[in-house]
Amino acid sequence: MSTPAENEADNEHQKSKKPADTAFKQQRLPAWQPIITANTALPVFLAIGLIFIPIGIVLVVTSERVLEFDLDYTDTNCMSLNVSNTTCADVLAQANYTGASCTCQKSFTLDKDFEGDVYFYYGLVNYYQNHRRYVRSRDDNQLLGKKDAVSSDCQPFQKSVNGTDITPCGAIANSKFNDSLVLSMNGNISVPLLRTGIAWSTDKAVKFKNPDNPQNWFATNPRPPNWQQDAWHLDTNLTDDNNGYQNEDFIVWMRTAAMPTFRKLYRKLSLTESTTFQNGLPKGTYVLTITYNYPVTSFSGRKQFIISTTSWMGGKNPFLGWAYITVGIICMITFVVFLVLHKTWKTDDPLAYQMRSMQMNQRTAAGYN
Amino acid sequence: MASGLIINDIEMDYFGSGLDFLATSGVNACISLLVITDHSQHSFVEHRSPTRVPSVIDLDTVRAWLQDVAEHVSFALPTSTITRAVPEPTQISTDPVAGMIDLGSSIATGLLAKAKVLKRQQTSFKSFDQKINQNIEPSNDESDDYDDNEGLLFSYGQEGRQAVLASDYSFGQFRYLERLLLVHGRWSYLRISKFLRYFFYKNFAFTLCHFWFGFFSGFSAQTLYDPFFVATYNVFFSSLPVLALGVFDQDVSADHSMSKPPLYTPGQNNEFFNKKIFAESVIHGILTSCIIFFVPYLSVSNSTRPGGMTQADLQSFGFMVATIMVIVVNLENALETWYWTGLYHFVLWGTIVVHFLFHFVLYSTIIYQIFNTNYGYVGVAQAVLSTGNFWFTLFLTCTILLLPVFCREFFRMRFMPTKTDRARLNQKFRTEEKAAFVAHIQQKLRQSKRSIRSGYAFSQQQGWGPLITSGRMQSKSATRNRQQQQPQSQNQNNNLKNRVHPSPNNNVRSDIDKSNKPFNYENDLLYPNQYFLKTEKRI
Repeated sequence: MSTPAENEADNEHQKSKKPADTAFKQQRLPAWQPIITANTALPVFLAIGLIFIPIGIVLVVTSERVLEFDLDYTDTNCMSLNVSNTTCADVLAQANYTGASCTCQKSFTLDKDFEGDVYFYYGLVNYYQNHRRYVRSRDDNQLLGKKDAVSSDCQPFQKSVNGTDITPCGAIANSKFNDSLVLSMNGNISVPLLRTGIAWSTDKAVKFKNPDNPQNWFATNPRPPNWQQDAWHLDTNLTDDNNGYQNEDFIVWMRTAAMPTFRKLYRKLSLTESTTFQNGLPKGTYVLTITYNYPVTSFSGRKQFIISTTSWMGGKNPFLGWAYITVGIICMITFVVFLVLHKTWKTDDPLAYQMRSMQMNQRTAAGYN
Repeated sequence: MASGLIINDIEMDYFGSGLDFLATSGVNACISLLVITDHSQHSFVEHRSPTRVPSVIDLDTVRAWLQDVAEHVSFALPTSTITRAVPEPTQISTDPVAGMIDLGSSIATGLLAKAKVLKRQQTSFKSFDQKINQNIEPSNDESDDYDDNEGLLFSYGQEGRQAVLASDYSFGQFRYLERLLLVHGRWSYLRISKFLRYFFYKNFAFTLCHFWFGFFSGFSAQTLYDPFFVATYNVFFSSLPVLALGVFDQDVSADHSMSKPPLYTPGQNNEFFNKKIFAESVIHGILTSCIIFFVPYLSVSNSTRPGGMTQADLQSFGFMVATIMVIVVNLENALETWYWTGLYHFVLWGTIVVHFLFHFVLYSTIIYQIFNTNYGYVGVAQAVLSTGNFWFTLFLTCTILLLPVFCREFFRMRFMPTKTDRARLNQKFRTEEKAAFVAHIQQKLRQSKRSIRSGYAFSQQQGWGPLITSGRMQSKSATRNRQQQQPQSQNQNNNLKNRVHPSPNNNVRSDIDKSNKPFNYENDLLYPNQYFLKTEKRI
């Protein structure tokens, strides 16, 4: 056994393993150590209550100012003009959904002037554009104008019967909404609608490009089974930058919706084309002429036509405003409750008790000096 | 009766001879003694019995205790004496909670340790029943005693160094055990509990959004978020703040931890992480995911942007939910942190900034125009972030989710503070010092009621006389100057309440304050305002 003296010599030879006495290694880093006390928490509740309630009121008022009109034209509102006493939905069903078309008209009244920018939407209900297989069923490279073979994600709309790739492929493209909705006022004044400016500008600039020589390309390659015409005829005016893959209706449709009830921008009111409509839609009677091509009744879907103005916050959205007001009110109630509890609940508040009695004692002690 | 075995002294021995002292490692608590007879023969005796910690421990108690053990020891030994010199007196504390630790050091002195000492603490729900388990283990006996609890290894000599490999923690001197347990062990438990709770919470919040989305997507397993986000959420957007929490968080400083051993009991009673807390964190995650999904859903489902385009496409909605989730989850982490170092600030705000930067770059149109490739989410970032709807929804969701946590924390801290909470309050606001000061003043006032009129004549107790005649009764400004010259030492003594522990700087325990004097309020009694000048914080 070794004596203590030898061991000390040993220890001196060893390097000291003591960790350095720095703030980092000794865990003494300067830090903010917040503690939630009554003096910090109660003002927070009050502040949130006071901020949220006005915001909520502003949002509610903004939303109430937005005017909206919708019309569900799935069945009874759209009676076929050609076949008596039948809805257009039934007409399509009777033709076994093989591309039949049906026209109908519906008149409605707008009670108020829709001032400013007016937007027209089509809405679909119970339509699952967010189904996983559906969302996958597209080929983005093809939509960029590349002429390579399309991916198998587009199945079963990848190749046509004679083996060539469908342009554009996929279930999303195949199910493009093809009703046409035309509005006229008092039966004869047609409302000027813009069909461009409805898609995301980034989409149109970056994600969708036509292949070279598009007219020929679309004419020679097969179109999706549900389409009546090829992609180059999507815009009947044959304007080059709104045709093919760059057709804005097509782009809008290809941006799949997140929920089974959705609306998509269809047209915008053109404020410059006619003096009647230069401030928006004036109130009055309107006639909507529907070319009913799109069958939805087989899966209990519904179709809607929606007219809406916007505000700085967007369309009609009552939820946000009322949610802010509710949260603000709850915060104020919480503030009041906690304030009362803080002042009255006789627990051992580690902070207040000592301070109060100490201040008292400070005064008494100082008085005896 | 013992056949003449006398333990003369207890010593800490430094061997180093490399002899292997064979023994089975005891499964039960036991005291093992290496007995070296005066013929320099080594005999090993293991005495197995649970040893309870006496409530009052001093050197004599230990001696008596070991004497009891020695009675059993002596049966195995011929008559002999153990003689060793004690190199330095060992200090044993009188604090029953901390006593377990100091007892260990004194027992180690009795162990003549060439041996390895394994000290185990068992965490038990019910009783604070300290079983000290000291084993001598050979290096080839990897026992399975070490499953649940951590093995602390007091490593000595060659076998000690070998056993370091088998232990969770090893240290070279027994007095480090105190710091290891009270400071680092405690902090480690706190950090791990918070880390775990938070991890379950954030992953439930993230994953269950897909569950809610399933109701709206026909249960077709369509992901709500961008696949890139799914891959990087746990790596980039929610990992660094919780890592900083798990590495740096503290409730009270090291000095406060050492001076308050009862703060160790939450660890033994599983107070920071148990089934109830786990269930709470899971439910919290579920509710968070519910709010994070449904509030944006309700605010966006049929709304449109000011330009007329709808906001409710899959990608915008996914990006909105993802951004709200990252911000909420990180702010929740911020609410859980008690110790905000500069690094934590950087990591927390940095994560949120990185989230926006990452998505801006990933979804930017410029990159895709340059490379003529396509990624489904191009343009989504600016489309979403430029709408007022998104920002209002973000603030609303953050408030709805963070305020209840804030409320709960405030309620607990104000009305039902736990031990740890009180320690934190004390550290920040020095409440215990002030309470002691108040108590002392009240006592003094009670005593000095007779001296209200004349502060000089005092018949039975030491009163104000010495104070007044000492010449310290001066004007306040004069005393302020005087006191500024001697500020520090008094304050440090104040904080630690008779107990100064060796920081790593001191090797020698010469700074132990052995006096039991109460805090000397005399100097400050006359000048309470000056006292509070230094220490009072406005709350």
